[in-house]
Amino acid sequence: MKPITYFFSILTLAVFSACESFLDVQPLESISDTQTIVDKATAETAVRGIYSALGSANYYGTGFQSIGYLSGDNIQWTGSQSQIQEFINHNVNADNATIAGSWIAIYQTINRANNVLAKVPGVTDPTLTQTLRDQYLGEAYFIRALAYFDLARTWGGVPLITKPTLSPAENSGIKRSTQAETYAQVLADLEAAEPLLPATTDRYRATKKTVWALKARYYLYRKDWAKAEEFATKLLTDATNYGLLKPYNAFFANDARGTRESVFELFYNGTTEVNSHRGQWQPQTNGGTRQWAPNDALVGLVNNPAIGGNRSVLVAKDNQNRWYGTLYYRNPASDPTYLFRIAELYLIRAEARAQLNKTTDALSDLNAVRDRAGLPASTAAAQAALLLAIEDERRVEFALEPHRWFDLVRTGRAAAVLNVTDPNRLLLPIPVNQLLTDKTLEQNPGY
Amino acid sequence: MYMEYIYFIHICQKVSLRRFSTLLSQKTGAVSAFMAGFWLVLALTQSLPSFAQGSYRIEGKVTDKTGETLPGVNIRIKGTNRGTTSEADGTFRLTLSDQTTPLVFSFIGYLTQEVKVGNQTALTIALEPDQRQLSEVIVVGYGTQERKNLIGSIAKIDPTATKDIPTGSFDAQLQGKVSGVQISSNTGVPGETVNIRVRGATSINADNDPLYVVDGVFINNNSLQSVGTGGKATSPIADINPSDIESVEILKDAEATALYGSRGANGVILITTKRGNFNQKPKINFNASYGVAKAAKLWELTTGPEHAQLVNEWWINTGKDTPSLNRTAENRPFRPVAEGGRGLPEEQKTYDRLGELFRTGRLQNYDLSLSGGTKTTKYYIGGGYNRQEAIIKPIYFERASFKVNIDQQVNDKVQVGVSNTFSRTFRNQARAGDGPAGGLLQAALHTPTYLSPLNEQGVPVGRAGFDNLTLLIDNYDVQSASLRYIGNLYADAQILPNLRFRTSWGIDYNNYNESEYWNNLLISGSPAGLATSSITQFTTWLNEQTLTYRQKFGNHTVGVLVGNTLQSDVLTRTYAEGRGFANNLFTQISSAATTASSQSWSKSNLASFFSRIDYNFAGKYLVDFSIRADGSSRFGTRNQWGYFPAIGAAWRIKQENFLKDSRIISDLKLKTSYGTTGNQNGIGNFAAQGLWTGGASYQGSPGIAPQQLANPNLQWERTNQFNIGLDASFFNDRLSAEFNVYNKYTTNGLLQLALAGTTGFSNYWSNAAEISNKGFELGIRSENIRRGGLTWTTSFNVAQNRNKIEKLENPLRYGSRDLILQQQGTPLYSFWVYKQLGVNPQTGNVIYEDVNNDGKITVDDRQILGSIWPKFFGGLTNNLTYKGFDLAVFFAFQYGNKIYNHNKFFGEGGGARDAARIIFASNNARWQKPGDITDVPRPDGININNYRDGGSRWLEDGSFLRLRSLNLGYTIPKRLTEKAKIEAVRVYVAGSNLWLLTKYTGLDPESSASSDANQQGIDLGTPPQPRSVQVGINVTL
Repeated sequence: MKPITYFFSILTLAVFSACESFLDVQPLESISDTQTIVDKATAETAVRGIYSALGSANYYGTGFQSIGYLSGDNIQWTGSQSQIQEFINHNVNADNATIAGSWIAIYQTINRANNVLAKVPGVTDPTLTQTLRDQYLGEAYFIRALAYFDLARTWGGVPLITKPTLSPAENSGIKRSTQAETYAQVLADLEAAEPLLPATTDRYRATKKTVWALKARYYLYRKDWAKAEEFATKLLTDATNYGLLKPYNAFFANDARGTRESVFELFYNGTTEVNSHRGQWQPQTNGGTRQWAPNDALVGLVNNPAIGGNRSVLVAKDNQNRWYGTLYYRNPASDPTYLFRIAELYLIRAEARAQLNKTTDALSDLNAVRDRAGLPASTAAAQAALLLAIEDERRVEFALEPHRWFDLVRTGRAAAVLNVTDPNRLLLPIPVNQLLTDKTLEQNPGY
Repeated sequence: MYMEYIYFIHICQKVSLRRFSTLLSQKTGAVSAFMAGFWLVLALTQSLPSFAQGSYRIEGKVTDKTGETLPGVNIRIKGTNRGTTSEADGTFRLTLSDQTTPLVFSFIGYLTQEVKVGNQTALTIALEPDQRQLSEVIVVGYGTQERKNLIGSIAKIDPTATKDIPTGSFDAQLQGKVSGVQISSNTGVPGETVNIRVRGATSINADNDPLYVVDGVFINNNSLQSVGTGGKATSPIADINPSDIESVEILKDAEATALYGSRGANGVILITTKRGNFNQKPKINFNASYGVAKAAKLWELTTGPEHAQLVNEWWINTGKDTPSLNRTAENRPFRPVAEGGRGLPEEQKTYDRLGELFRTGRLQNYDLSLSGGTKTTKYYIGGGYNRQEAIIKPIYFERASFKVNIDQQVNDKVQVGVSNTFSRTFRNQARAGDGPAGGLLQAALHTPTYLSPLNEQGVPVGRAGFDNLTLLIDNYDVQSASLRYIGNLYADAQILPNLRFRTSWGIDYNNYNESEYWNNLLISGSPAGLATSSITQFTTWLNEQTLTYRQKFGNHTVGVLVGNTLQSDVLTRTYAEGRGFANNLFTQISSAATTASSQSWSKSNLASFFSRIDYNFAGKYLVDFSIRADGSSRFGTRNQWGYFPAIGAAWRIKQENFLKDSRIISDLKLKTSYGTTGNQNGIGNFAAQGLWTGGASYQGSPGIAPQQLANPNLQWERTNQFNIGLDASFFNDRLSAEFNVYNKYTTNGLLQLALAGTTGFSNYWSNAAEISNKGFELGIRSENIRRGGLTWTTSFNVAQNRNKIEKLENPLRYGSRDLILQQQGTPLYSFWVYKQLGVNPQTGNVIYEDVNNDGKITVDDRQILGSIWPKFFGGLTNNLTYKGFDLAVFFAFQYGNKIYNHNKFFGEGGGARDAARIIFASNNARWQKPGDITDVPRPDGININNYRDGGSRWLEDGSFLRLRSLNLGYTIPKRLTEKAKIEAVRVYVAGSNLWLLTKYTGLDPESSASSDANQQGIDLGTPPQPRSVQVGINVTL
């Protein structure tokens, strides 16, 4: 017996000491979060990671975009899920899955930006030049600005998170800021980004010009008309790089991407970076479900030669005589997401100028967009008529892009146009599972 | 002694402490540990001197009561391990050292007999058959036990009775057979996963499945499927041919499972495959069966005109409710074509799609086996082929399996052996679950009946966002082939008369090869085809050493077991897809215009040590204590090791003097146990680590991003279980009963704890939940008649489990429309709905219960109304034999569970889903005018009020009583078959699911769209379990 006991105690000992390494199994597909942004390569790839989040399915891939256009009055839902119908009915519940997903996706983008902002300044790699370092930080600031802008216009004031989350205890339990404070964060980030970024033209990544585009939109939302005009002008005068393409579909048809029309669009390669947006729009013969389809009103508008012009290409008929949207169609799924088109900057400036009573200049901006659509110049003269003409133009110009709802909310026209009479409904509810998880969050009134 | 020492030295040389660690971190570590064990055994066989030889020779013959010779009977000299086994003709020879020590004759199924040799030189021994179950051998953790000595709660099942039920995997066939084990088949597709819950469920995010052990190998039971079939998953257990299984033991309480430590919290299913017997002449067994399967009923749908009528009604109603919609009777959708409408309701046609999808499936099964043995070798060789067509086109399941088990006695102290199972399971798969593209039941059931499958040009088109059914059936091309090897190689040595050493090496290897081709006629393949290929490999290796010591001192018997195991699981997957094919004839990715691919790898290791000490006083008082230590690579560095102790005791009251002579009570045993088991299954292999992913590319260039937050404290989920039970049998075991009461409490429940979205993460792995399961189990077996060739036995079991989430900080929602809510204070898998109190006869509107009395119905008014847990469940089996006839009638039942009829939720949309969904015939009963009394309200739109998502109208009682199987067999008299040199011929008819009693208005109250445990009980797009009849023949040569 004795040697047996001996043998087992030794074996046990041996195995226990061996276990330390036996039980240390490391993944091959992921890396430890203790070594993340340490040199030029990791800084560069971490910045790409932010863009990847910006373009993720629940943010600018599909989810967040759908909030913008489904809540308008152009799109019908032909599927069975009520979460989609809720936007069309302007009766979004706090347990709506789309808003739940978008909320998380936007903060995920912010967290990635915060990681870059916190860690890139400490990188000591000599190959990381000051220019590159500035660019990476500027891009992170810009995307964070865009993220807070989207949060503010959708939900109002939100918790402002500016440090990366390194452990579960961090970055929760933070009270909501006001909408004004959230917008202030947007501006602060834009002001930080602007001097850091190069004044080059890159339609897929943030540059100084991209900052100007968001600033123009930001000031339009904030009703700072002069500034909106000023920043829109900065891009509109850059004719070398930006311009309206004719015909209308030149910016998206025939697999076009990165055209002169585009100020900022997200890139998807269709294999590892998939934009699944098309699946909702395309008919079955193109591998989609056509669950989101242009409604009768929109089909009427775009097919009306006096209103749609050559924008009638935005809709087409499937083999069952049903209309479908054509903007997202590529196979494999690599349709860009259009964040800023030069047409928007024309219409931003038109609106800002109209508000400033520079009606002639405003009309000329509006007519630039109409002209591209193959339409005669607008004759709207008075400020009110002009503003209405711009509103209508935006409806058709961005028929399948996420603008209509936010436009009608910011101009106070949602009640008149969409019959949303309860002002509380102009902000969406904070997702209910966020309220459950984070008890310091307060729901928007009316939900 | 000497050799052990040599061996020990050898180990030390071979595996110095320092090198051991590196060795063990590779597979070779286990190989060398195994080989070391093997050397020990070999050394023993060659070097140990044999025990002293005596001088008395004796020979004899063993028979049964009728004089039939019995080969393979174990013959031992009492108190020693010396002896022999009887030859094929029942004879034996033995040399004895003295004439006074009795010989002990033992054989499974017969009473053990002690015979004093005295002066005899030739013995004829007739063994009495053992009618008593008490000496039945039960497989327990790392050993066997006689039933009478069991302390734990273990059920033994003979799977042959149910093996004809067309499910694919044997576990699904055991429904209702074991008390306290709830088995639910989610679907009628053969070979898909089933939910097995041994005494309830203990975890929210970790696995609740039991551990499956095949001949000592811990096998994988998680599906390797990667192609989407709408939430369904294939079962790896279906790779095992039920005909190869000798017995199944289910270990339930802590005493029984604690030896499996970290794996035991959800029970353990021990599968013992068939082996030969020593000294058995070759026996050939052939079994063939053929049959058909069919759906017992189908859904009732509206006709085209009815559909149109309801849509018009919804249109006009909503126009009245919301004038701004501009919906009036004038512009209703189904108005004359001349007015721009789709035609009047009565002009609509009705198209039957269900009839096109459902079919009579054919079932075939063939098994051939050869088993036997010589004095020192025994073998079992088996081959099987099984093919089952699902009741919906084009799905079928096919399994070919091959089995070889060999045991070799090297000498009278050492035995080595192998178990091998090879199988190939092929599945022609299709989406029989949720989801639009490729969904069979979406295309057949959820497409409105009024829509023609052809468009105006006569071209087949899909409607309502779903595929065209005909195109789908004709062009479906999704296949998987699972190649599986489960094997075990062992050596067992009697080192000393009371000390055994066993070492084994087990492997579970699964190569799972899937491919899809979607041509351009299908949604997924439009416009130019899509092909995917995925190869998943799962490899487990397992090395195990045990040392058992058993000694009897007078009335005291002491047993000690110590052992260790090392286990490593590796999961790899290579995936490729191609899009854009020149035409539908090109189907391989190599001909695609664009391709994409990926690769993944994951691994986990587990190191364990365990020990059990048992003590038995005079067969009257039994106590045992066991402990297992498990170290898992999955957990945080601070908590890798978990310790799982258990203690059990039993008192065989029958052995006391006051009961010893009782003629009524033939056995009475009181038993109790308490212990802790763990769980780590179902969490990611790297769940405790803080990680960044490399899969965040942009513009085709690599990108990195945070993936998950670290939790270095992550540790084992622990379940404490108390069990107390009584085993009793009466009238010479004609009536026996087992009753157990248990209380399980799980702490440190593994949970993906929700994080505030502001962190940038959704959740992280933590130990945050507590769950309890309390219940009782009762099993009764009665031999009602045993007279004149007629026997009638009845087995009945019933169990109750009450499940409750004891601690959960934030409620969790699962399933479509958040139908399932996990929250503190209520059971897992509870349905969270708006309670419909009725329909107002005046307005036709639904009245919901306003739980918070705020005058409006909001999400705060959702409440829990029942769960998937039955109040009780069980089974009833009656077996009758008369002369050559045998009849087995088996019912399974559940009472008090709920099921959400999600098909009906969609199908009873009141017309609001218009052309996007079917309308069920039940919607015809809607309210139309004041005074109508109905529970189907006035159509008012999607999720407005009357047809609200999560309404309780579609939550139904899922109780059922099912005639699970009915088998009638006839064994042709031996005198007839003997002439043809055939030992036995049995012909039989087997039916399954022949009768179902339920209030559920769907097809099958066990249906579940998803194989995700947290989404059980939601019935959507799922074919029912088939009703089947098969005829078969079983021939033994």
